[in-house]
Amino acid sequence: MLELFTYDFMQRSLLAAAMVGGLCSLIGVFVVLRGLAFMGAGTAHAAFAGVALGYLMGWPPLLMAILFGLATVWVTGWVEEKGRMKLDVSIGILYTATMALAILFIGLMKTYNAEIYGYLFGNVLAVTSEELGIIAGLSIVVIGAIVLFSKELYFIAFDQEMAEASGVPARRIFFLLLTLIALTVVISLKTVGAILVFAMILIPASTAYQLTHSLSTLTWYSVLIGITCSVGGVLISSYWDIPSGPAIVLLATVLFFVAVIFSPKRQRQSLAAT
Amino acid sequence: MPPPIIHFDHATFGFPGVVALEDISLEIQSGEFVGVIGPNGSGKTTLCRAVLGLMAPMKGHLNIFDCACDELRCHHRARIGYLPQKGVVDRNFPVTVLETVMMGRYGTLGLFARPSGKDRKIALDSLAHVGMEGYRDSALGHLSGGQQQRVFIARALAQQPDVLLLDEPTTGLDITTQHNVIELVQHLHEELGLTVLLITHDINMIRSRVDRLVLLKTRLYAAGPPADVLKPEILSQVYGKDLVITEKDLVIVEDYHHHH
Repeated sequence: MLELFTYDFMQRSLLAAAMVGGLCSLIGVFVVLRGLAFMGAGTAHAAFAGVALGYLMGWPPLLMAILFGLATVWVTGWVEEKGRMKLDVSIGILYTATMALAILFIGLMKTYNAEIYGYLFGNVLAVTSEELGIIAGLSIVVIGAIVLFSKELYFIAFDQEMAEASGVPARRIFFLLLTLIALTVVISLKTVGAILVFAMILIPASTAYQLTHSLSTLTWYSVLIGITCSVGGVLISSYWDIPSGPAIVLLATVLFFVAVIFSPKRQRQSLAAT
Repeated sequence: MPPPIIHFDHATFGFPGVVALEDISLEIQSGEFVGVIGPNGSGKTTLCRAVLGLMAPMKGHLNIFDCACDELRCHHRARIGYLPQKGVVDRNFPVTVLETVMMGRYGTLGLFARPSGKDRKIALDSLAHVGMEGYRDSALGHLSGGQQQRVFIARALAQQPDVLLLDEPTTGLDITTQHNVIELVQHLHEELGLTVLLITHDINMIRSRVDRLVLLKTRLYAAGPPADVLKPEILSQVYGKDLVITEKDLVIVEDYHHHH
C-alpha cells in the first residue's frame, strides 16, 4: 500500500482531499449551527448548473459555477431576511429549478461530454496540478475570511438577532457566510462532486456536535474528522479501486453513526431519563 | 440637569400600515432605573428594538447617548447591554457558559480585533457579578432557566454597557427565581451605576424597586414615580376590566386570558 504514495497523482489527490475535507468541515460548523443545511445542498446543484452552462457556451465552468452559486445563496439569504417565504420553500424551488437548468443545458449539448459528469460525481484521483493550485488559492481565501471573522460568525450562528443588538454588523456577516458557503461548494465540485459535496460540509460538523459542548472544541473536532475522512476515503478508494466520492462520504457517515451511538450527550440524556 | 441619554421626541414606530408606538416623548437620565409596563401587544418590545437602533422612527426623533442619528450605528449599540425576551435556547447548542459571555465582548471589540486575556477577565468578572463563576465550563444547555438568565445578564455586562435593557427577564421562571433575577438587576443598578430599562408585565415585581414607571399602550399614558403612575384612574385607561385593586391598595393586573 505504501507504494501508492510515490505516485504523483496520488500525492496530488491526497493533498486535494485534505484541503477540501478541512475546508468543508470548517465551514460546515457554521452551516450546521446556523441551520443552513438545506442551503448548501441547493447551492451545490446551482453551481453544477453553472458548470453545465459553461460547457454549453464555452465559458469557463468554474467561474460560471461561482456565479450561479453566489446568485443562489444571495437570493435565498435575501428571501430569509425579508421573511417573504420560509427558507426551506425558497431553497427547494431554487434547488430544483437550477437542477432543471443543468439538465436543460446538458440536453442542449450536441455531443456527450464526460467532463461534466466529473463535476456531478467528482473524482479526486483525477485532480490536475492546475486544479490543485485553484483549490489551494480559494481555500486560503475562504479559511482566511473564516479566521478573520470567526468571533462574528460564531455569534450569528448562536443568535443573529442578539449579535445585531450588541453591535455586530450581523447582516453583513450573514451574507459573508453565505458567500463562503458558495465558494466552498465550488472549490469542492471537482473532487467530491455536486451530489456529494454537501455531505462533506454537513457530516463532520454533525459528528463533532455529538461529542462536545464547546464551540471551539467542536470546530477542531469537525476539521479533524473532515480531513481524516477525506484522506482515509481516498486511500480506501485507490486501494480497493472504488469511486473516491462515495468512499469519503460513506466513511464519514459510518463515523457519524458511531458518534451518535457513543455520544456523551446522549448518554447523559438517557441517564437523566432513568 | 445633564442631557438625557435616551430621548424620544414625538417618535412613532411601526411598519407600513401598522403603528406599534405612536407619538412617544420620553427622557431617560443616566443612572435611572425605569420600569416599562403595559399589557400584551402594547409596544414594549418595539420600544426595546427602537432603543437598540434596530428600528428607526417613522416620525419624530430618537436620540441615544450623544448620537443625533435616528438609526444607531453598531458602535453605539455595543454600549447597551441587552437581555432579549427568553426564547427557546436550543438545549443541545454546543456552547459553554464562558463562550456565551465572551460573545458580549465581540460587538465592543469590533471587527478584526481578537479577544485577549483582558476580554477574558472582563467576561469572568461579569460571571462573578451574577454569581455564576463556578459554571464557566458548563454547557449552557445544562443550566436551569434562572441560571441561563444569569449567564445572559453576564453577557450583557461583558459589553461594559452604560445601559442595561431587559425585555421580560422573568418570563417562564418560577416565583423564587423571578425575585432572584430582579434582585440581581437592582443590585447591578446600585453597584455599577447602570441605567436600567426593564420591560415587564409584572408590576408588583418591580413597583418598589424602580425610580420611574412608564405606562405604554401604543401611546405613552404615564411616566413618573410608581406612586404617581399606579393610580386606578390612570391604569384603568390601559388595562380596563383586567385591573383589580385590593383593600390593601395593592395593584394587581392579571393576565385576562389566564383566568377566563
